[in-house]
Amino acid sequence: MASIVLDNVTKQFSSGYKALVDVSVNFDSGSMTFLTGHSGAGKSTFLRLLIGVDEPTRGRVLVGGVNISQLSAKRMPWYRRNVGVVFQDHHLLADRSVFENVALPLRIGHFPANEIAPRVRGALSAVDLLDKEKLLPGYLSTGEQQRVGIARAVVNRPKILLADEPTGNLDPDLSKTIMDLFSQFREIGTTVIIATHDIELVKDMGQPTLNLVAGSLADPIVTQTKVTEFN
Amino acid sequence: MDNKNAQNLDPWAKPSGGFINWLKDHGRTFNDTTLFVSQRLASSLFVWFLVGIALALPGILWLAQMNLQAVGEGWQGRAGLTVYFEAGVSPAEIETALKDLKKMPQVEKTALTTSDQALQDFVAQTADSLELRDIMASLDENPLPASIQITSSEGADFIELEALQRQLRAKPQINDVVIEKTWLERLRDITTLLNRLGWIFGLLFGLGAIFVTSASVRLAIESRLEELLVLALVGATRGQMRRPFIYFGACYGVGGGVMAVMFLALILNAIEGPLQALLGSYQVPLVVKGFDAQFLLSVLGIGILLGVIGAWVAVRQRLHRAQFI
Repeated sequence: MASIVLDNVTKQFSSGYKALVDVSVNFDSGSMTFLTGHSGAGKSTFLRLLIGVDEPTRGRVLVGGVNISQLSAKRMPWYRRNVGVVFQDHHLLADRSVFENVALPLRIGHFPANEIAPRVRGALSAVDLLDKEKLLPGYLSTGEQQRVGIARAVVNRPKILLADEPTGNLDPDLSKTIMDLFSQFREIGTTVIIATHDIELVKDMGQPTLNLVAGSLADPIVTQTKVTEFN
Repeated sequence: MDNKNAQNLDPWAKPSGGFINWLKDHGRTFNDTTLFVSQRLASSLFVWFLVGIALALPGILWLAQMNLQAVGEGWQGRAGLTVYFEAGVSPAEIETALKDLKKMPQVEKTALTTSDQALQDFVAQTADSLELRDIMASLDENPLPASIQITSSEGADFIELEALQRQLRAKPQINDVVIEKTWLERLRDITTLLNRLGWIFGLLFGLGAIFVTSASVRLAIESRLEELLVLALVGATRGQMRRPFIYFGACYGVGGGVMAVMFLALILNAIEGPLQALLGSYQVPLVVKGFDAQFLLSVLGIGILLGVIGAWVAVRQRLHRAQFI
């Protein structure tokens, strides 16, 4: 499994705007952490650095002991195959069925054909969408599309699970179900980081929380031993 | 440290199973491409049409050059002169001239065509033309002269044939003497010209085919940027992201090649009649050379190659600009 270390990370965009400022934090393998903060606080940038979409302007992002900002373009895909990502705006392929959307990471990762269907159906069952596997995403509600995105993120049992507002379009009961699903992944060693506005949900889950304010880490609103400042 | 140990230490090392996975990817890409193209048949047909035209023109020039060369080679064995008599020259005078010609050292073979035979040949060759038939029927007498086709002896060069031409032209019963070799040389010039034009048009239209494919693939990339983003984020390699578009290029190339073959078949069919008449007047049978399986496969192969090059250019340019990759 994979520990994550952000070592004095600053991300400044070409416009001069600093999305993250000297962020240092350590996520142990198998931890589940909430990332909170207002819009523009730097939550998405934080996740983008972990996905390898952006590179830090200064500092290091170490995942499994490897500085991912120095991963070559050839190696980046091998890393990303171990990262499940839930996007705020779903990013589903409109011309593929729900089943094919969820199966995408498995096909890209060359999973054996006989494993694909059981895994996809298992993931769809976990988000309560098993009966909609043949539909195109356009026929689903926003909440259902969000759940398809979640199923796609967890279908290959990634070592790292990153979620950007995963429950933004879900009702409270379903939000709790999804959080329980993420907790199950944490229990099998997946490092889970969830960016959210939903403070009530965060409190309910009782997991460590990092609060970002204007790109810097503020005092966590819930603090437990799993998250420690790196310095 | 060996590779195995290095992989154990590196959690993000390349997974094993390269070749089999590569084959699987190709299978998946083939299916995806078939689906994508079949869903956009109208725009695909348009691209095939354009690529087909781009391949057909150099193709027809190549076929023309090849066939003219073959005709030239066919004529080379019978290089010589044709002696046209004045109208009204008696058969006895023609017979005497024929005997004289046979004695000449530059002459190997002679063939007499009487004015009646010339008329019969002309009527047979212009049977399709009602106008010509009417004109011929309206004439009081046969306007076509008798002629003797002379095959020069082996080794007779152009200067000797010209000397013979001058010698024969001096005779009062002879109207004209035409050295076929001049036609042969013209034919060779035309063949060379067609060859050059074939290459020039081949290059220009080949570039055109590349641009058409490239532009089409670029549109396909733009329409699938969202998919590329998702693919990149779930760990698709650059090869996996490029492959569908390279397949599009190949598909456009194959379609263009098939179109080109169809265009060529239609063109050949359209010019068959007039060409047959033209060649018939030189006693050369119409046998189109080069339009065979090898040629058709070459057209398809060139189509695929140009399509893949066009797609490669588009993918390289567009994906290079995509920051998420």
